[in-house]
Amino acid sequence: MAARDDSVSSGKKSGDAFDDLPMFNAENLQSNLRIINYSRTFMSIIGGVVAGILGFTGLMGFVFYFLIMAITSLGLLAKAKFSVHTYFDSKNRMLLDGFLGGLMSFVLFWTFAYDIIHIF
Amino acid sequence: MAEDLVLDTAIRDWVLIPLSVVMVLIGVLRYFVSKLMRSVSQLPDPKVVKEGQVIVRARNLRSAGNFIPARAFRSRRTYFCNEENGLLHVPKGQAQNPQAQMFSDPNMAMDMMKKNLSMIIPQTLTFAWVNFFFSGFVAAKIPFPLTQRFRSMLQNGIDLSTVDVSYVSSRSWYFLNLFGLRGLFSLILGEENAMDDTQRMMQMQMGGFGADPTKNLSAEKDGLDIIQHEWVLPKFEQRAEAVLRKLVS
Repeated sequence: MAARDDSVSSGKKSGDAFDDLPMFNAENLQSNLRIINYSRTFMSIIGGVVAGILGFTGLMGFVFYFLIMAITSLGLLAKAKFSVHTYFDSKNRMLLDGFLGGLMSFVLFWTFAYDIIHIF
Repeated sequence: MAEDLVLDTAIRDWVLIPLSVVMVLIGVLRYFVSKLMRSVSQLPDPKVVKEGQVIVRARNLRSAGNFIPARAFRSRRTYFCNEENGLLHVPKGQAQNPQAQMFSDPNMAMDMMKKNLSMIIPQTLTFAWVNFFFSGFVAAKIPFPLTQRFRSMLQNGIDLSTVDVSYVSSRSWYFLNLFGLRGLFSLILGEENAMDDTQRMMQMQMGGFGADPTKNLSAEKDGLDIIQHEWVLPKFEQRAEAVLRKLVS
């Protein structure tokens, strides 16, 4: 994931508090969003397997998913050096994008790992 | 709820794992087959390319228009939006009916059919396979409780009303895989596969056949027409001054 995230830095925007001109390069913005989706999917799959192996059931697993997503958001923020507006046009883009998309993968891999290890 | 069912480990070894592996492999196979079947190197229609480029240029003007003087902006806008011979202006009646366009271009229909087939055939086959070999028993258990509503969804093929709902029949495990593996495919096959079957189906129902290019043109024209031009360069002197002051101090 870390290697993939390197290209986040290619997204560029020059602009500061002085004037709020929207100067985004659409392609770079797209690529940044794609990378976020990648990381989230990857983390949800890994998180699902981990949750299954640890044997979480019920609400615990979903709490774990939220935790994983929060960690991912934090990691992405750290990768962007905590200046969201350098790379994205809004904060929610970074924190919420791909949140529900990962849930299905998470549930699948959670079930898979849990079944293989715990119920047979 | 009720006491736990004990499932045979043979179910895990011969149903659960093979089913998932087969689903992944079929997804990969379908990706490459559809890549092979995509009709190669058909020259795109020059008119379509031209229109696309005009739209890209107009969009550039719209997004970066504030960096040029008002006069330059106005002349460019006239160039694009002129009612007589502007590039974005579509004369009435010339707008081509997309349906008619499709009939005139058999390649398009062919492409669509190929896409459809590459989507439907593997799905039907896998579903039939699962149905034939693995029907009628519980194959998995999801680790969270669900309400009775989900019974028909998750225990497809089991006609017992006393089994806890979180037990999943193999047929329903197939459906779970179908939706959940989307993320995995987008990871291992790249982004172009991310547009999965369900989305594609939805798009096909909504969008009909292909977008109408002339509609894009007029939409872009409207966007360009209503834009307010505000030259930002005068403000840049102050900005440069601020930056330089920061450097000096």
